[in-house]
Amino acid sequence: MDKKDDSDDLLVANRAIIFQNEEKVKRAAELVASNKEVDELEKRVKERTEDLEAFSYSVSHDLRTPLRAISGYAKILGEDYSTVLDSEGQRLLGEVRNNAKKMGVLIDDLLTFSRLGRKAITKSRVDVNKLIVTVLADIDRGTAAHNAEIVFSDLLPAVADYNLLRQVIANLLSNAIKYSSKKEEPRIVIESERKNGELIYSFSDNGAGFDMQFIDKMFGVFQRLHSDDEFSGTGVGLAIVQRIIHKHDGRVWAQGKEEQGATFFFSLPDIDKNSIVDNQ
Amino acid sequence: MENNAVEILLIEDNMNDAELAIRALRKANLSNNLIHLKNGAEALEFLFGTGKFEGRDINNRPKLILLDLKMPKVDGLEVLAQIKANERTKTIPVVVLTSSKEHPDISRAYLLGANSYLVKPVEFDEFAKTITELGFYWLLKNQPHV
Repeated sequence: MDKKDDSDDLLVANRAIIFQNEEKVKRAAELVASNKEVDELEKRVKERTEDLEAFSYSVSHDLRTPLRAISGYAKILGEDYSTVLDSEGQRLLGEVRNNAKKMGVLIDDLLTFSRLGRKAITKSRVDVNKLIVTVLADIDRGTAAHNAEIVFSDLLPAVADYNLLRQVIANLLSNAIKYSSKKEEPRIVIESERKNGELIYSFSDNGAGFDMQFIDKMFGVFQRLHSDDEFSGTGVGLAIVQRIIHKHDGRVWAQGKEEQGATFFFSLPDIDKNSIVDNQ
Repeated sequence: MENNAVEILLIEDNMNDAELAIRALRKANLSNNLIHLKNGAEALEFLFGTGKFEGRDINNRPKLILLDLKMPKVDGLEVLAQIKANERTKTIPVVVLTSSKEHPDISRAYLLGANSYLVKPVEFDEFAKTITELGFYWLLKNQPHV
């Protein structure tokens, strides 16, 4: 190699270095810009979340207050003017109160649903058998008496957020009880199995069932397959179930046939339980 | 009435909620010595014998304070903080009543020394039951601080 070649090489190398330096400066500027963008976005998300929280607080507080007044004054009218009101008048007042109550439930359900989006989940090991006993005790205390036979034993322990899983099981069980309540011998069977890296839990009832062609609507918010006269409800319960299970990286699905019962399934990832603290 | 024995002090800005609560307490014969004040500022004047309650015997302490949280000007938390920060009033049981369980202030209320925190049910029968039960509990069952 002669000298000219050397200096040519040097020139090329210098140019390359200059080019690289320019690129570095450009990249650095881009990085600063995109960091700024991320900060901006984070700030906006934070603001939106705060807005949403203020909004749900306002919805729950400000909508419930007038509802209580509607329900209360209808009741007072019925009590204090019972001699003036005939039975039709009393019935109409009853409808006013029923609807105020229904709207109260609707507001609560919607808030539960919207809160789920923001809530962080804390997983622990959950004894599903014990959890079902707890949920059944809640159901017995709350709603009207049911005569469903509820069968389960030795269900696999789950790794999940205790309170959220409790909500899932409460919704599935109260649905099963509700939709089988018109059968002579309502029966609900809860089972679990371990399959392909998943824990699968199923809730089967021998109730009203559903037509599989509406399966897509089943888990949507405010979607119902029955009228309120047949079976009361707000149409939020299964949407809540789905949202909670998705937050746990699980799946939900259902099988059924009209008048021949329904089975609801959910799955949870089968995580190594030794690494998780107990929560009974 | 200001210097008679006060049993319940109801601090509530919503006249409907106040009327419904008073009715429930009246039906349970718990409303004879009830005072209803419509905002936090009035409540503080009453408790500390200032402003329009100047000269009230402040040793005549209510057995129970029912406190709404959401009030204009001086809100429930501010009233609670002042009640619990004052030697003369801090042993009076304060039951916080609010419309919403979404309330971000539950933990603040407890940190400030609230004795109980209740969500007012929408349904009137349940609301009346809640109010009556808490009236019975705090006025008749609970042993007050002497």
